[in-house]
Amino acid sequence: MDKTADLLPGTLDMLILKAVSLKPLHGYGVLLRIRQISGDALEIPQGSLYPALYRLEHHGLIAAEWGQSENNRRAKYYTVTAAGRRRLREETAGWNRLVSAIAAALDTTSEEV
Amino acid sequence: MFQRVRALFRALASRRDFEAGMAEELRFHIEQYTDDLIQSGMPREEADRRARIEFGGVGRIQGDCREASGLYVFDELERELRYAARSLRKAPGFTVTALLTLAICLGANLTIFAVSDAILLRPLPFPDAGRLVTVFNTYPRAGVERDGASITNYYERRGRIPAFSSLSIYRFGTAIIGETGSAERERITQVSPEFFATVGASPEMGRTFTDAETTYQTDYVVVLTDEYWRQHFNADPGVIGRKIRVDTFPRTVIGVLPPGFRFLSSQSQLYFPLASRPEDRSPQQRHSGGNVIQMIARLKPGVTIDQAQSQIDAQNTTLEKDDGQAKMMADAGFRSLVVPLHADQVAAIRPTLVLLQAGVFTLLLIGTVNLVNLLLIRASTRSKELAVRQALGASRRFIVTEVVVETTLLTLMGGTLGLAVGAAGIRLLAALGASRLPFGAYITFDTRSAMFGLIAAIVLGFVLAAPIAWFNLRFHPANALQSETRGVTAGRAAQALRHSFIVAQIGLAIVLLAGAGLLGLSLKRAMALSPGFQSDHVITGQISLVGNKYRSPAAGLAFTERLVDELGHQPGVLSVGAANNIPFSGANGKSAATVEGHVLQPGEPPRGHYSFGVGGEYFRAMGLALRAGRFLTGADSHRKARVCVVDEDFARYYWPHSSALGHRLFQGATRGPDAEVFTVVGVIGSVKQADLTDDAAQGAVYYPYIYRPESNIFVAVRGGVQPESLGMALQRAARRIDPDLAVNDIRPMDDRIAASLVTRRSPALLGGIFSGIALLLIAIGTYGVLSYAVTQRRREIAVRMALGARPEQIRGQFLSLAVRLLAGGTIVGVAGAWLTGRAMQALLFQVPAHSPAILAGSAGIIAVVSLAACLLPAHQAARISPTQALAD
Repeated sequence: MDKTADLLPGTLDMLILKAVSLKPLHGYGVLLRIRQISGDALEIPQGSLYPALYRLEHHGLIAAEWGQSENNRRAKYYTVTAAGRRRLREETAGWNRLVSAIAAALDTTSEEV
Repeated sequence: MFQRVRALFRALASRRDFEAGMAEELRFHIEQYTDDLIQSGMPREEADRRARIEFGGVGRIQGDCREASGLYVFDELERELRYAARSLRKAPGFTVTALLTLAICLGANLTIFAVSDAILLRPLPFPDAGRLVTVFNTYPRAGVERDGASITNYYERRGRIPAFSSLSIYRFGTAIIGETGSAERERITQVSPEFFATVGASPEMGRTFTDAETTYQTDYVVVLTDEYWRQHFNADPGVIGRKIRVDTFPRTVIGVLPPGFRFLSSQSQLYFPLASRPEDRSPQQRHSGGNVIQMIARLKPGVTIDQAQSQIDAQNTTLEKDDGQAKMMADAGFRSLVVPLHADQVAAIRPTLVLLQAGVFTLLLIGTVNLVNLLLIRASTRSKELAVRQALGASRRFIVTEVVVETTLLTLMGGTLGLAVGAAGIRLLAALGASRLPFGAYITFDTRSAMFGLIAAIVLGFVLAAPIAWFNLRFHPANALQSETRGVTAGRAAQALRHSFIVAQIGLAIVLLAGAGLLGLSLKRAMALSPGFQSDHVITGQISLVGNKYRSPAAGLAFTERLVDELGHQPGVLSVGAANNIPFSGANGKSAATVEGHVLQPGEPPRGHYSFGVGGEYFRAMGLALRAGRFLTGADSHRKARVCVVDEDFARYYWPHSSALGHRLFQGATRGPDAEVFTVVGVIGSVKQADLTDDAAQGAVYYPYIYRPESNIFVAVRGGVQPESLGMALQRAARRIDPDLAVNDIRPMDDRIAASLVTRRSPALLGGIFSGIALLLIAIGTYGVLSYAVTQRRREIAVRMALGARPEQIRGQFLSLAVRLLAGGTIVGVAGAWLTGRAMQALLFQVPAHSPAILAGSAGIIAVVSLAACLLPAHQAARISPTQALAD
């Protein structure tokens, strides 16, 4: 657990949007993909994944469709909608602003005050 | 937003699919994870266990998913509904009382609303009905408020008033349809050619009338309603061109109107052209409307009534320049008024309906206050349960929703029962003669009224919930638990609220009772008035003398004389008379008389008088009172010397200081040749003509029938037996003399007078019913609140009794509470009733708006009812056994 970081509140939605924007995924696939693209650094609590998916679908940011999984089982696949893509862009930009602002703040030395 | 709603609906519509899909999705996840764990070398059982633990509680996750999909609200609602239904079932006494209260109050409101809706709110069933107006002549200073329009008015205005796109006149009447012996009397309407265009109806088949069909001899055409065509022509598609026999002459069918066409409240099934002679259209006839012909017009789009009015005024001014009568008409206050058609039709009934609506709404208020009190009591008894639930984490929102769901469930159930009550109420009103009101036939109980009722029920549910939710939230859990265990008087605020509601309820009930009392007293005063003749044992009927053989007045006279003679010899008949009009017939046109020697003073308006042409023993048959001289007899129609009889009002107006006998007068507004002068030979008591409460002493003149002949006559028969049995004799006698004629509208005179009181009687009766219900509600409300107070203070009473208080003191304490509430309510109620009486003044007759007797009576009745309702709880309080109460 040393290498993994806890999710900041509100970032799960952003990560899900990012994951399904790359390629349609089923729920378990979203979990694996986030772990993969974060370099195994982010661990999603499995229980909170599905309510988040249902909320995003309810808000029209992702769409769901039943399809075949790699091992030929019926699975629900999520894709990002146009609104979801827009939201992802906004949240990414917002996140980057926040990160650079915090980084700048934390880099400040006593001489600069 | 839209997407969200759509997703929610999809989820709701396929709720089962949603649940199955969710379960499958979560199962898939766990199995995939298990497989991955096995592949990484974990034993199957261990992997299985691990996957489930890491995934977490499936039930909780499913709940979270449902909530995330917006389905949570509905689940909660369902749960709440089930809970509310269960708790209502557990308290059947409360539930039944509440449902009955709601059913009666909402049902009564629905009934009155259906009436107001049909009469006042719904637009007339014509295209762009808001642009339809009526134009009528008025001569207020001659005592003639409304005189319709003349044929001359029509021809002068037609096409010359730019504000109107179309203008027409109509006249209601009756006609005998069919062959000799099987003739039936039908209601008909005579109309000018553009009538159907004015109202906006075009014939389904054939055509409507043309200008060429507006003279006698060319007018033998008829347009049928769809209903008549179906009933009498079996919906024959070839009906155009067929002939029907009308008043013994054949008329050709030229058109059939669309289904459902009905002009205002008329029951006419046949439409004829309104034919006239050139002399009927002359300027001399301009003011001869007589309230028989009415004018309607359609405003051009964008034109206002005021513009139309000023154009009519301008035309009248121009026409007056060369009108010999102009001066006299101006003295009479002549004007032609343009009034919206719908408003004009309902003007007389509107105040009554508004009053009834207010009364029935007061009833609803009383019922609502009652329910709030009962609900508050219920909430108090459940406060412990509520406190426990709040302590266990029930949110504020949850507590409010719970109350709203319960009250709305209650009001919706009550409202549904109220629909049945409303439907029954409409039947009751129909029995009271609601269909005789203008547009009364449109009163129905349909989806629109039902929707209104249910929406009102839902709104009421929220209104009821507000004070209960307030009470529940205010009541802190800790307090509730404590106070219940210690038995201390709990919730002073709640108690004050309940008591102020009782005060309001008593006040409202006094207002309602006083209002109903004023209406009842007015009715009683009106009924006590003498119509001026002996109306009992008289039967009356109407005969239209139609056909070629009655062209001459002499033929009409001969018929009436034969009829009077035939009937006079029937057993049980005391006297028989005929007249061209009778009091309370519904027709009450007035006309002018010129009294010899009477010079109009400058500014003195000419007067309209009721004028009758009478034959046979009309005065005896009607039971009129002779004041001086003699009655007219049948023989006066045959004498050379013209004579007449006037009533006291007429005599007093023209000859205030001397006897009227021997004075002379002329028919009409101008002096005629000497040969046409009438000598007054008798004075009779004045008669109410249209309304028992009518106190305008307009004066009446009675001429021998031959000098005022009309084709429409009334027959009055006085018998020693019940008048109903004379009706058949009247019908048979008329048929024997002329089988082409039919007597219609056969009714005892008392019936006509009673019918004229319908607009007073029905509101008074309904007011009485509302008051009765209000009294019942007051009794329930006071009893409920007082007996709850007793239960709540059981321990306190027990302690006091154990310390030596006597039962009478306990009883007295509760009765004094009741008296205090009553006193408060009476003050509020008397003030309210005072204001209500003032608002009702116009509808009252010979009753002061603030009748002390009525106020005292209403307050007294309420006092008796509410104190009686307190006796039982007070008695129970006095009988509390200290040992038992303290042991509980």
